[in-house]
Amino acid sequence: MNPSFSFGSYYPAESVLHKLDPRTKLIAGAGVIAAALLSADFSGLAVAAGFIAFFYAISRIPFGSCIRSLAPLLAIVVLASMFNLFLVQGGETLIQWWFIRISEAGVYACAFIACRLLIMMAGMSLVTMTTTTMDLTEGFERLLSPLARIGFPAHELGMILGIALRFMPQFADELVNVYRAQISRGARLASSPARGVRMLSSLAVPLFSSALRRAETLAAAMDARCYHGSDGRTRLHPLAFTKRDAAAAIVVAAMIVACAGVSSAL
Amino acid sequence: MIDCEHLGFSYDGEHFVLSDIGLYIGQGEFVCILGGNGSGKSTFAKHMNALLIADEGTMRIDGMDASDDEALYAIRSTAGMVFQNPDDQLVASIVEDDVAFGPENLGVETPEIARRVREALAEVGLVGFELHETNALSGGQKQRVAIAGALAMEPKILILDEASAMLDPRGRRGLMRVCKTLNARGMTIVCITHFMEEAAQADRVIVLDRGRIACDGTPDAVLTRTGMLAKLNLETPFACTLSQRLRDEGIDIPVCIREDELARAIADAAQCPACEGRADFAEDACEETAEAVHGSTESASAKRGGASAETDGGTQRSTGENRMPVISFEHVSHTYLDASKAKKNRASKRKKTAKWGNDPHAVWALHDIDLAVYAGEFLGIAGHTGSGKSTLIAHMNGILKPTSGRVLVDGRDIADKKAADEARAHVGVVFQYPERQLFAATVYDDVAFGPRNIGLSEDEVETRVASSLSLVGLDCDELRESSPFELSGGQQRRVAFAGVLAMEPRVLVLDEPAAGLDPAARREFLSLVSSLQKETDMTVVMVSHSMDDLAALCDRIVVLKEGALFAEGTPREVFALGDKLDAVGLGLPAARRMALALAAQGLPDVFSTLYSEDELVAAIVSACQCDADGAQSAKEASGR
Repeated sequence: MNPSFSFGSYYPAESVLHKLDPRTKLIAGAGVIAAALLSADFSGLAVAAGFIAFFYAISRIPFGSCIRSLAPLLAIVVLASMFNLFLVQGGETLIQWWFIRISEAGVYACAFIACRLLIMMAGMSLVTMTTTTMDLTEGFERLLSPLARIGFPAHELGMILGIALRFMPQFADELVNVYRAQISRGARLASSPARGVRMLSSLAVPLFSSALRRAETLAAAMDARCYHGSDGRTRLHPLAFTKRDAAAAIVVAAMIVACAGVSSAL
Repeated sequence: MIDCEHLGFSYDGEHFVLSDIGLYIGQGEFVCILGGNGSGKSTFAKHMNALLIADEGTMRIDGMDASDDEALYAIRSTAGMVFQNPDDQLVASIVEDDVAFGPENLGVETPEIARRVREALAEVGLVGFELHETNALSGGQKQRVAIAGALAMEPKILILDEASAMLDPRGRRGLMRVCKTLNARGMTIVCITHFMEEAAQADRVIVLDRGRIACDGTPDAVLTRTGMLAKLNLETPFACTLSQRLRDEGIDIPVCIREDELARAIADAAQCPACEGRADFAEDACEETAEAVHGSTESASAKRGGASAETDGGTQRSTGENRMPVISFEHVSHTYLDASKAKKNRASKRKKTAKWGNDPHAVWALHDIDLAVYAGEFLGIAGHTGSGKSTLIAHMNGILKPTSGRVLVDGRDIADKKAADEARAHVGVVFQYPERQLFAATVYDDVAFGPRNIGLSEDEVETRVASSLSLVGLDCDELRESSPFELSGGQQRRVAFAGVLAMEPRVLVLDEPAAGLDPAARREFLSLVSSLQKETDMTVVMVSHSMDDLAALCDRIVVLKEGALFAEGTPREVFALGDKLDAVGLGLPAARRMALALAAQGLPDVFSTLYSEDELVAAIVSACQCDADGAQSAKEASGR
């Protein structure tokens, strides 16, 4: 109903990335995060951004969808970078007003953290956009299967991840609907703390109760289709590594080395 | 197939939801289970595939005992189940994965799963949708995916638990068609429903009342027992109501439950020699219209309907110039995407959307809407799922801003923030399933949320809460301290409705106010809305895809199609569009459907313009009285 919220929901297309094994993509996603963390300055991030842009280009996901999938996360980016803007001090002071002091180092840290976060998020959302939830679930489960031997609930975690992603758009819709309804009754977030709290609870309570209601139906529907954990489950599309996955692994490894290398060289 | 004896069940060990149910359903039967809210029908459905296990008595499914743990998965794959809410029961994000979920759990080999998925999708008519996102499908398509998911387990029984309750008419018809085909191939179907038209198509109808079987028999035997059905908060199918009314008028026709049978019976009753002559006379009198009906050329009748809708739209507007419209839309378009890009892409995207109903990537949610809502009128907005109805009403109090064009409330553009705030105070919007916005600990606090937000004093809040609760027919003193979550579904909806009324709006906008209620609650709620409008002189805008409700309540109807205005006019003009409404996924009111069927059976042309039940009864009565007076009154009926 409202396509402006679509964080990470699967975008159907035929591309090399869509055909990769989900395990490869999950590891590659972790690789992108590693690359962003290993980049100590903007040159490293620029290299990482170049790689990400290349991945998006071959994923055949339209530019608009990419942007929209990232838009809901901008709040986090802005918040995190604001913290840095005010908290990191050093170098020349640019603005000083009352207790607020913004320094050169702060501005640099703010921009840097924003770019780093954006690259990480772009990487992860590309993984979920090119992988169906069932594949993601399975990939996650298989990656964690060594841990399952010591009692780690790998399958369950995978299933939770898959279902969370599957219901993300529904909850976004639900939130929009409740928000509209309460706004129509004159609610406003900003006026006073007491009313702000009331407004928040007027959004949170309906969302929780709808989550519980949905969970109940979903549980019954899964039961009705004989779901009983991972025992004896087969797959419509069994996972298999191919040469493509090897190629992808090499590309991601190259990306990490390049990011780390460029930033330490300067 | 299903054999249960003395079945009893209770959730808490005290109150039995089901008691002493004895039932045998044979191979290949098509059974409908009816019952008001709280009659235990969904609970019973869950026993049929061992989601719940009986506390008393036995339940056997295809010879397997439901209480046998060993047989659990065999039972669940034998009895496939489809639930009410299309959004909540699909597990995977891709159609193909979701259909495969059942067989995957059963450990079926990969090539066999692929075959089953292919065949199941073919059976529900969704070939080519394998790789579609489940989120992007319409409600009806989602339900068919859910059926395919059950079919992939190769069941012998298919249980539908109110599976059609949240669908629009087109989705509901598609679902019923799938069930019928499956049944014809030997599948046992158990369908739980509120819709009597669906029950009329079954082989057998079972009515539940407070956990017991109240009635069991063929549709002809059960659905004609009007008194009993009314007592159980159910209604009778339209054909049955109509034939009863005609019998009360002294016309000799059998009580029918299917509309085509009734149409034939009425035609027979009216076709005595004298009537024949009069029918010919009527045809001569207005040859042009007769041609449209008897020539049965769709385009001719559509053109005629379209023309009259347009002309009358014109007269409406000219009379409207005297009074100010409360809300007016001027070339309003809305897109959820970036506007400049949307315009650029429009041509190419349009082609894509044409393929199937509502594409979430469709560019324009609303396109070039011109619309006026006049003070004191009851305006209906109809449209298929995804036609932009919800987006349209979100513009009425400024929650959404038009991408281009203007929305005026009381003549002021609500793009202005101050005007938007004022508009919000004047225009109260009751969204779909309003009970889902309830949040406060007590009924009083929930209703008081709005008044407190606009900064009223506690005394004023008190009076507003009391008056709005009494407007919706609830007792403020009795309910004020109770939690809204403990109330019944119908009462919750009333509380949520009161929460909007407490803002004292002059315009009330309702989005599908009766969706998901059982027939009795539905009727009550709609009559509440209608009496409110008459008593308080409020302007009401109601969105619905139930053409019967719109026909009964509205002064004027607007039909949306894929975000654009499709038709506008009085109910008579809009319903004259006939088949064209069908093409946009909407039905016709039952009385109108009947009138058209009668006209097609060769009855006088009068019938091709009728849409309300009273008119129809009057017209049929006069058509069946074979004297000059009868002909006269038929003419009058047509003149009205």
